[in-house]
Amino acid sequence: MAFSIFGIFAVLLEFIRPLLPLILAVVIIDLVLLLLALRNNGLAGTLAALKRVLPVGLVVFMLGLLFGPWLTGAGHGNLAGILDWLSLFGAAVGLGVLALLVVWPPVALLRSKNA
Amino acid sequence: MKRRNDRQAFLAESTVDPGRRRLLKAAGLGIGSLGLAGTGLMTSTPARAVKTNARIVIVGAGAAGLAAANRLSSRLDGARITLIDRRERHLYQPGLTLVATGLWKPGQTIDENKRYVPRNVEWIHASVSEFEPDANQVVTDTGQRVDYDYLVVTTGLHVDFDAIEGMSPELIGREGIGCVYDNPEHANRTWEMIDRYTTEGGVGLFTRGPGGIKCAGAPLKVAMLTEDLAQRHGNRDRLEMIYNSPSAGLFSQPDMDQFLKEEFPRRDIDINWHHRLVGIEPEQHRATFDTPEGEVRLDYDFIHVVPPMRAPDALGNSPLAWQEGGFADDGNWMEVDRHSMQHPRYPNVFGAGDCVGTPIGKTAASVKAQVPVVVDNLVSVMAGRQLTASYDGYTSCPLITSRGQAILVEFDYNLDMVPSFPFISPYREHWVPWIMKDKFLKAAYNAMLRGRV
Repeated sequence: MAFSIFGIFAVLLEFIRPLLPLILAVVIIDLVLLLLALRNNGLAGTLAALKRVLPVGLVVFMLGLLFGPWLTGAGHGNLAGILDWLSLFGAAVGLGVLALLVVWPPVALLRSKNA
Repeated sequence: MKRRNDRQAFLAESTVDPGRRRLLKAAGLGIGSLGLAGTGLMTSTPARAVKTNARIVIVGAGAAGLAAANRLSSRLDGARITLIDRRERHLYQPGLTLVATGLWKPGQTIDENKRYVPRNVEWIHASVSEFEPDANQVVTDTGQRVDYDYLVVTTGLHVDFDAIEGMSPELIGREGIGCVYDNPEHANRTWEMIDRYTTEGGVGLFTRGPGGIKCAGAPLKVAMLTEDLAQRHGNRDRLEMIYNSPSAGLFSQPDMDQFLKEEFPRRDIDINWHHRLVGIEPEQHRATFDTPEGEVRLDYDFIHVVPPMRAPDALGNSPLAWQEGGFADDGNWMEVDRHSMQHPRYPNVFGAGDCVGTPIGKTAASVKAQVPVVVDNLVSVMAGRQLTASYDGYTSCPLITSRGQAILVEFDYNLDMVPSFPFISPYREHWVPWIMKDKFLKAAYNAMLRGRV
């Protein structure tokens, strides 16, 4: 049973649909903050803030590795084979990147205010 | 009926003006563009809709009915599509096993049909009580006669509690009786029974209705998840678990059958072969099984009742049902060609979902595979073209073996494994299929209802 790219996006849309208003709000707020940070700090300054939030991404990545199975009602003992471990690793990376992207704009803006 | 379709084919290509004929012609022209529209990566439906004013009636607003309504609505321009079903509530039935074993709340399986009914589809809030395919009509329980040019039958099935002497749905959640099927209320009351059983212990009987049943993996999952729960409670040694199969097998797919025949004894779940539940005495906590050696009575502290299932009476007693053979004897299922999903005696009638008599299926995954075939072939019939879409029997069962692990079993009419994801072994328990079942399949199901996958 193959899924087209359209189909995969449709499934992802249904997955996030209950949280769509919240996700949209976070994205809009972050974009506004990012634009303000870019105006105040310029591109280089804003990108520099990314380094500051890297630890946040790393911590969330580690938490994802540790608690990912638990969040799904399972345990690490349920992981069987490379597929499961790679999936956990990929999910943890995704969570880390997501956290980094969410935290980056406010931190970049705060940096400009403190500068 | 053959003559009628030949005529439609002619009309679809003619310039005859009035009424439906003109629009059937338009349908034919539209069909011509269908091939050009193709099915590219970013779209699941053709870019240009087919013009027609055909009257299409869909009976049943379950998974197959809603998916068909959405697909037909986007494929056809001007068609008068009518959906008939009294139910306002939509149930995500693949989640009932999770409710019955305490992993989901009942509300997670409850939705509303109105969220998925397309705007240009008329919804008659009634039940069909009679199918009259010779007159191209259905009759509702309110007495309304509805004419159609094309009919899509997606009624679902009837869980036949009455086939078990002494059993009724009201008993679920009392006297140690559980049944995962039919609705979240049953599933939740079953969870109360399983929770008590895995805490207090005793004899647990797990049954399976004979013949075609929906989600045939559910009785197995309930047994394995109950065993897993008892392990987690530290009470496993207080439970005597017996799975009663009505046949000599546990699962239709041979590799999975073999796996389960090894897995159940390994987990100390005894198996009684050829034990078909025929009666229950709730007050005495006693069940009666029909076996080759005669009737056998077994006492229980918990019993998971899985009744036989059949087509709803209105369909099963109609000319649309199989008139003889295994599918007639089993459950009066609707007759369809197993590949085209077209009714062999009424070519303007198609069927999909639990109500049809095909060798395997009766899962949401089967619906996902069947509905596009029904829609493609229905549009072909409207245009007088040969039917090209074919259903290969695809069905799927994320067989949960314990909380946190499952096997993603997918197979076809040949009982060959046909994995959608080649990197997920269909022979081995993994965490990833568990996540899919627990987190993602409902999203895929909803996308299917909207006709997007």
